[in-house]
Amino acid sequence: MFTSFRWLRPALALACAALAAFVVVTALGLGASGSRPATSRVPLAAYVEFAPHVASQLVILGYEGGKRGASLAPPPGDKPLPISDFDRPVAEYLAYAATQLRLMAGPLRSLEASLSKNDRNQAKRAWEAAYARYLHLGAVYLEGPIAVLNQRIDGSPGGLPGGTASPRFTGLHRIEYGLWTGAPPDSLLGWARQLSANVEELRALLPDVSISPLDYATRAHEILEDAVRDLLSGADVPWSQQGVLGTAAGLAATEEVVGTLRPLIDMSIVDTELAHLSGVMEGLAAAHGGTLPSNTELSQKQSEALDAAVGEALEALSQVPGSLETTKLPVTPTISARDVVIDP
Amino acid sequence: MSRIGRRAFLTRSAAVLGAGAGAAAGVELNRTDQASAASADVDVPSPAAQWQMSQAELTESEPFAGVHQAGILTPRQAQATFAALDCFAPNRDILAETLQALSQRAQELAVGGPIPLLEADAPPADSGILGPDNAPDSLTVTIGLGASLFDGRYGLAARRPRELVQMPTFAIDDLDPAQSHGDVLLQICANQRDTVVHTLRELLRTVRGSLQLRWEVDGFQSARRGPTAHNNARNLFAFRDGTSNPLTTDPAEMRRLIWAGSGEPAWAVGGTYQVVRVIRQHVEFWDRVALTEQQNMIGRVRATGAPLGGSSEFEDPRYDLDPQGKRIPLDAHIRLANPRTTATADQRILRRGYNYSRGFDAAGQLDEGLIFVAFNQSPERQFVAVQTRLLAEPMIDYITPVGGGYFFAPPGAVGPDWVGSSLFA
Repeated sequence: MFTSFRWLRPALALACAALAAFVVVTALGLGASGSRPATSRVPLAAYVEFAPHVASQLVILGYEGGKRGASLAPPPGDKPLPISDFDRPVAEYLAYAATQLRLMAGPLRSLEASLSKNDRNQAKRAWEAAYARYLHLGAVYLEGPIAVLNQRIDGSPGGLPGGTASPRFTGLHRIEYGLWTGAPPDSLLGWARQLSANVEELRALLPDVSISPLDYATRAHEILEDAVRDLLSGADVPWSQQGVLGTAAGLAATEEVVGTLRPLIDMSIVDTELAHLSGVMEGLAAAHGGTLPSNTELSQKQSEALDAAVGEALEALSQVPGSLETTKLPVTPTISARDVVIDP
Repeated sequence: MSRIGRRAFLTRSAAVLGAGAGAAAGVELNRTDQASAASADVDVPSPAAQWQMSQAELTESEPFAGVHQAGILTPRQAQATFAALDCFAPNRDILAETLQALSQRAQELAVGGPIPLLEADAPPADSGILGPDNAPDSLTVTIGLGASLFDGRYGLAARRPRELVQMPTFAIDDLDPAQSHGDVLLQICANQRDTVVHTLRELLRTVRGSLQLRWEVDGFQSARRGPTAHNNARNLFAFRDGTSNPLTTDPAEMRRLIWAGSGEPAWAVGGTYQVVRVIRQHVEFWDRVALTEQQNMIGRVRATGAPLGGSSEFEDPRYDLDPQGKRIPLDAHIRLANPRTTATADQRILRRGYNYSRGFDAAGQLDEGLIFVAFNQSPERQFVAVQTRLLAEPMIDYITPVGGGYFFAPPGAVGPDWVGSSLFA
């Protein structure tokens, strides 16, 4: 079952690992007390008290690697989930995704209308609504035609030869680039029409999509990872700086995916963290007249508070994929002594 | 009149070469030896002995002159700076003077010695941040030329090395033009940070009017933490980097893989192509990935550096015994980078990378990564082939190449030559 420990820090986990042999013996006798260590000088065992998950790993694994053939054995009692357990969550998610794409039609129509009227401000608002709706899908890292369409809808110019001048730079970010850098709005109409068509194509493909349990479990974690890496950093929204809006959409998508998985594992800690993040988002909107601020409108403290909440949520979410394994962790085969060749 | 401040350059060139840096050190040593004699722990060198060792290290030097430039086959020093410069020399002659000045100043600094005294009412010849006597500290300065230097400005288009082009954009890249390309690259390496900082400052001063900074990034090696003296240091994903590099001690291998030769303009023979890629590593994300997944992405055991299923960093991954990728996944980094087949043997590159850590981004995430550096004879045959295979690795989610460039490091300077002199011959 899934467990996560809010006060465990990676550095402490490493310290724990280094002293595994000593600490584990100490830690196993301790019960959870539920109070937060007051300072960073709390003895190591007290941290392990808050990290029974890690402590149990230490018992199983000892040091990380080091011996010939040392491989990470699965913890005893680790029962993989049947693949069929994912049928319903994935079906629910795909129905949700279809709804999001349907809901995108309104803002896309409004975008085209405001572009043809040369109303830049209205077009920006419509773009924001369409972009946020698209990000409600969460990560789209499927292969094949869906990935191609996603590149056309939400692709960045960074990896294209010529960057923003590349003819392959299309979709939401092509329009963002134009709207926020002074291009005549009506010159962007062609991109907007192509965008609407691509979204429709994607919607038509959705019923044929299959998502593997591994991809689906990973999605629960990685939607917000992508948001931090690409949106809050400004990397994917360099012109509009609408990373907070995008992250809020990613949060909604994460809540949806987590919700579909709730019947499979205990999500209580994840729920707590996502609710906290949601509260921080609401606070930000309240502090900015009811609308989520852009990245650059955040004060330093607001930015730090948001990073803290997202970061803590991610630490919890990162435990999800490992708790949703459908196979036992395979044991890595060993190179037998007679096959060992040392390089020159 | 040239624009490179010839007078200033010549006065700074007047350093006495070859003087050691430790003349005053002996006195200091005798004084502190007694204080540390009381130390009971015989295994730990006394503070005085440690100081003496660090002094000895500071006086070590790498020759600047040679058939090939230093800083290519040289074992990686602990600290580095990569500085890409754009050229504003008004004509070809001044470009030549500029490059000559760079070589001369770099050579002086690599040798070390006392700073010449000028008149007290003039700015000093050297910033002096290393003291009155510059210790060489294994300094190497490697000078590279970018494709843009061979445009129309200096009449060098016909002499462009055959494969020197602007670094292409790969699908995973998010290159920032302000952190990419450039006319000239300085790779400055030494064991102490202050030596590198000093060298960059002095070199820029020497050529102020002709070469201006375009981008710059500072790198460091992780300490070599063993367990043996040979084990490679780790990158910021915690895996050892540099394992299974071509053998720099094997001249035949270097001729096959590193040094430019047939097909290149005569002036370029003995040089090499230098690929620099500033690759952001999303370390917080990486730290939230399960150990088995990390190891499968790389293909090695994180703790030891051994290929998966093995126990020594230096053992062959034996892909021949694992054709289906049951031990080392077929898309693992080491397997795609170097499949160890006959067909890919001539694609091997010499990696000489450094880690970087420079603050954090707008999302509060650490801006850390790898300054990937590869020397190779033919970027098309080697670096591009490897990089193209690596576009399929799962690790791409955790990295973003943000800058860098292709450069050509001309052959080294011998006798009266300077780096690049053959280009103007």
